[in-house]
Amino acid sequence: MKRDVLERVLWNLSVDRFSKVKFKENPTQFLSRFPLGAEDVRMILEFDVKGLQEAGVSPLLTMGYWIEMSPERQMSTYNRKLGSESGFSGSIKG
Amino acid sequence: MAEIVGGFLVPHDPVMFVARDAAPADQAERVWGAFENCAERLAASGATTAVIVGNDHYMLFGTTCLPKYCIATGHVEGPLDQLPGLKREQIANNEALATAIAEHGAEFGFDWAVARSFTTDHAFSIPYQLIVQRAAELSGREIKAVPVYLASAVDPFITTHRARELGEQIRAAVLAFEGDDKVAFIGSGGISHWVGTKESGQVNEEFDRYIIDLCCTMNIDALVALGDDEILARGGNGAMEIRNFICAMAASGAARGELVEYQPVPAWVTGLGLIELRV
Repeated sequence: MKRDVLERVLWNLSVDRFSKVKFKENPTQFLSRFPLGAEDVRMILEFDVKGLQEAGVSPLLTMGYWIEMSPERQMSTYNRKLGSESGFSGSIKG
Repeated sequence: MAEIVGGFLVPHDPVMFVARDAAPADQAERVWGAFENCAERLAASGATTAVIVGNDHYMLFGTTCLPKYCIATGHVEGPLDQLPGLKREQIANNEALATAIAEHGAEFGFDWAVARSFTTDHAFSIPYQLIVQRAAELSGREIKAVPVYLASAVDPFITTHRARELGEQIRAAVLAFEGDDKVAFIGSGGISHWVGTKESGQVNEEFDRYIIDLCCTMNIDALVALGDDEILARGGNGAMEIRNFICAMAASGAARGELVEYQPVPAWVTGLGLIELRV
């Protein structure tokens, strides 16, 4: 999938309250309104931030959606998913 | 006519607020103290308006519209991303000056995106609350603030060359403004930091000190000549905010910069540099 739709979805999940609610209610149904491929859906549902960044998505959005939507919001886990050993755990955009 | 009284280049690190105790106490004290020092200097400058040049972090502007540069000409509130100790509030904009900057730009080849009612993020609100608002308290006079937002964190980025030109246009507009305003410019951002990437938590002190030297010698040419690949490799995606420095420096027309404080703080994921621009 092109970066643009992935970024639109992740932006919605980072800042739009309605989208956040709908995603939490039924993530698959929420994502069905976007022209996403199966791999795109998997990356979003599994919070595969490394894969999303490799698809060209801005790190600001992968972090924002992680902080807002992931079950485990710890940045140390986010960093591990990216392949980093960083113990940094401050959970905020900068 | 309006007068330019100087400015500052300062970081806008939200981790300072959410993880205050993560940094070594001595470094934390120096950084917080440096913001207070900048507030005292701004109070002493006689400034009545601060133009704060910051950038969105993919919160205010979404995929449906990503402006290269935007100015708030009307109502302002913020920040959107409230932090412990940084609460959302109404902000006194200098609407007349902001409108004059936008209109001057339209006349001279700068088609500003305009926000009639704007919500800031921390890029504006950290220097606003720590420096501008504090200076107003110290001086007992109102200091209004104009938000200018550049595309420094989300691509397509404003070029460093255009950031300089924009600063020069802002300067020309301010100097042509018929009012008795005393205007300071604050470039908000940097220096080295990696945001949301696997390198997050790294700080490149050598790069930071190189940038500080260029700022203190007002070497805008060298800052403009920095390539994006070099900035990203040496300073991280957060260092693209050097564009905000360039714009504020060009707007201020400062003779030199004076380092107020520099602290490399990996626990706050940033090389934090505070510089006063002296006219």
